[in-house]
Amino acid sequence: MKLNGADFVIIGENIHTTRMVLRNGKLVVTAPGGSEAVRYVSAAGETRFLPIPEAFKRTQDYGEGRIKHVKIAIHDAMAGGFEGLEYLRALVGRQSAAGAGADFLDLNVDEVSLRPAEQIDAMRWLVETIQSMTDIPVAVDSSNLETIVAGLDAARGRALLNSASLERIGALEIAASRGIPVVVTAAGEKGMPQDDLERVANASRMVDAALELGIAKSDLYVDALVFPISVDSQFGIHCFDAIRALRAKYGPEIHITGGLSNVSFGLPCRRVINDVFINLAVAAGADSGIVDPVATDVRRVFTLDKQARPYQLAEDMLLGRDRNCKSFLRAYRKGELGVA
Amino acid sequence: MAEIADISNEFIRQEIDEFIERADERERIISLFSRSSPGMQAIAAALIDGDNELVDELTQAALAAGAEALEVMDYGLIAGMAIVGVKFRQNFIFVPEVLACARAMKAGMKHIDPILSASGIEPLGKVVMGTVKGDLHDIGKNLCIMMLRGAGFEVIDLGVDTSSDAFIDAVERHQAHLMGMSALLTTTMPNMGKTIDAFIDADLRDGVKIMVGGAPVTQEFADDMGADGYGKDALACVALAKKLLGVESRT
Repeated sequence: MKLNGADFVIIGENIHTTRMVLRNGKLVVTAPGGSEAVRYVSAAGETRFLPIPEAFKRTQDYGEGRIKHVKIAIHDAMAGGFEGLEYLRALVGRQSAAGAGADFLDLNVDEVSLRPAEQIDAMRWLVETIQSMTDIPVAVDSSNLETIVAGLDAARGRALLNSASLERIGALEIAASRGIPVVVTAAGEKGMPQDDLERVANASRMVDAALELGIAKSDLYVDALVFPISVDSQFGIHCFDAIRALRAKYGPEIHITGGLSNVSFGLPCRRVINDVFINLAVAAGADSGIVDPVATDVRRVFTLDKQARPYQLAEDMLLGRDRNCKSFLRAYRKGELGVA
Repeated sequence: MAEIADISNEFIRQEIDEFIERADERERIISLFSRSSPGMQAIAAALIDGDNELVDELTQAALAAGAEALEVMDYGLIAGMAIVGVKFRQNFIFVPEVLACARAMKAGMKHIDPILSASGIEPLGKVVMGTVKGDLHDIGKNLCIMMLRGAGFEVIDLGVDTSSDAFIDAVERHQAHLMGMSALLTTTMPNMGKTIDAFIDADLRDGVKIMVGGAPVTQEFADDMGADGYGKDALACVALAKKLLGVESRT
């Protein structure tokens, strides 16, 4: 999508086997016929129900009130189920129709099964299936390189490889030989970066290695790594400073992105935190985000009233000016942040 | 049975009234505080408030005035943390506030630890913690460690990317009876099972309880690979640690 005339690249993260809805939330209902199901609106606009299988009801996730709906849909559809397929089609439709519109659909099946062979099968199947539903390119996302390769093999056009990092630098060669774009992260060989300088150092090694292999800057998406502000009030600054430094170092063509919802982990009113974080990241030089484009309409995010009190409280917090998130949480308790 | 009116500290009374809803917990916490002195209640209140400087100061003052280190720990610090834990579970407070309380706990324990170890009193238990081989994620593991320390456990932190050998080494060297493994990736989760197998091969499995956690980890997976328990978050980790070691606090 265009953002003030420039592109903002949305890597939509809706089709992940980790995604969940709460069992006591409004999407989980008793379907006509009496079984428990996830209610959704199909691509054709009708209200439909994805049944929650009996086997899933024996899992702890279910026992603790979490419904892994995407995982359920993929299992159902792979076994030939109509409802699972419709569910995925609806997810795709919502991401392309959503205000901002996803530029890539990030696919992750890491939790579909613990057996690598089943993950690989599922990724291959999912890439083919999603591509039959939309022309939006896919991002193939896994912590297992073999799963990524299987997904890329099934992809037509230019899929995005998500991701390469110092502990998995071989992924760069895969991207280079296929001529496809790639996400490179700021993770270190031996651990997560502790500050902005480590982020810049790690990411620079990745970017330099990619350029050496002939990957174009415009095909590189640097993930500066976003950590929860609830854990350390400096985590926001670390990320923004790294984004600023990387933008200055590599110029306008390279993409700078990140999983932008991680920042609000452990806090209430996550939406306003995520929204403000996106604005601050863009101000620092980011031009892409790994976000849920349905929950986060990026156009709305960019036109928020920056003088509003919830915005300012979140901004102070994210810029390291609110120790232990004290003012933000006080305002939350007083009901000053609106609904979560 | 103890009554809430038996507790002298007004802040503690209010906290219990406002936040402790479950009858069994209410009874246990009221009983605990009704037996604690005003000085200990003040330490607990400062801890609940996340005021590490005040906890530091009050702990030193209490010890200087002749309070037993064990009393300060159990009736001041750990008692305060009991209320914090319930507030967190019920979403009355959030991660930054729990971390502030954990830091306050640490400020108090700094004065308690040397006295306890000099007099040969063991901590609640020793726990070896680490993220498994191939996995660099540590935020969740670190939250667990802060909560465990806050509850009175001694924790040996092995960091990230921890090999089976490193776990075995640490458990032997520190004579730990409990170990916790974290994994955030489905590709590294199997390394939990491999580490458990390594303990079996080294003939050490019977001497140590093993708990596991991390976003993709489930109870079913923990059972499958033969772990002794699974915790879904930092608070569950503390409850599990107590259960596996058969310790409630001494109070």
